[in-house]
Amino acid sequence: MRRKKVKKLVKRFLRDKRAITPVLSHLLLTVVAVAIMSLATSATFMITTNLRETMGERVIVEDVWFNSATGTVDVYMRNVGKADSQVSGVYVNHVDESFNGPFRLEVNKHGWLRIAYSWDSGESYYIDIVTTRGTHVASYYKAP
Amino acid sequence: MLQAITKRLKREKRGISTVIVVMLSLVLVVMIVGNVVLWSYQMNQLDMDRMQETVTITDVKKHGSSGTSMDIKNTGPLSLRIVAVWISTSTTHQRYDADLFLNSGESVTYIREDIEFPKDAFVAKVITERGNVAVFSED
Repeated sequence: MRRKKVKKLVKRFLRDKRAITPVLSHLLLTVVAVAIMSLATSATFMITTNLRETMGERVIVEDVWFNSATGTVDVYMRNVGKADSQVSGVYVNHVDESFNGPFRLEVNKHGWLRIAYSWDSGESYYIDIVTTRGTHVASYYKAP
Repeated sequence: MLQAITKRLKREKRGISTVIVVMLSLVLVVMIVGNVVLWSYQMNQLDMDRMQETVTITDVKKHGSSGTSMDIKNTGPLSLRIVAVWISTSTTHQRYDADLFLNSGESVTYIREDIEFPKDAFVAKVITERGNVAVFSED
């Protein structure tokens, strides 16, 4: 009895072609709207994440060692911010110098950044460390 | 009056999609702005705390046969945590991990048996969790 009823219903549904176009158009519109909203939400998430990471980047210099044994300038850095950090460039007296890159610091991590630079005793140097997000950690340091 | 407005609203279907789009856009904008403003506020608070934090090393002495003791004072209005101690001489710069809390206005003598007291001139530093540095030099 019940089977018969279902069969009848399906038959009626298959035969009746009216209002198919509006249903399809509504369905398509819903799919498009959901897709656009998902895109917009993903973009929002990406934009805010980037902004948050840029705003949350804080790196400090704990120590600077003009190392006479290796002939390098060793800078001990610590990430005190809320986002991972990577050094993209090091400038000594505004000139780009090479370092032990890629130098990446996770949150609360620390380590030596070794700058290949032949320094002279008693001279002052302006060391500027730049991260990939554009944060500058710069100061004057005097070689002993 | 109210009934008439409701009736009119139910009948009038024009401009509904525009209103929905505007509302959804508004939700997105509020989400972005709120997120950024809240994060900015949090980071500003961190920077303010960092600026207010002040710690000083009043003395560094030899402790026992080879250890080192440091008199440290928190002169700022916030409690702080020291995470590292540096002893630098002309030949070496050595970092030691530390874990020491100081309340506002508190002074402590921090004793470390594993830090060898330097024989020559040295510079001692303590680093706080917020990223501030206190320096003490002995010729």
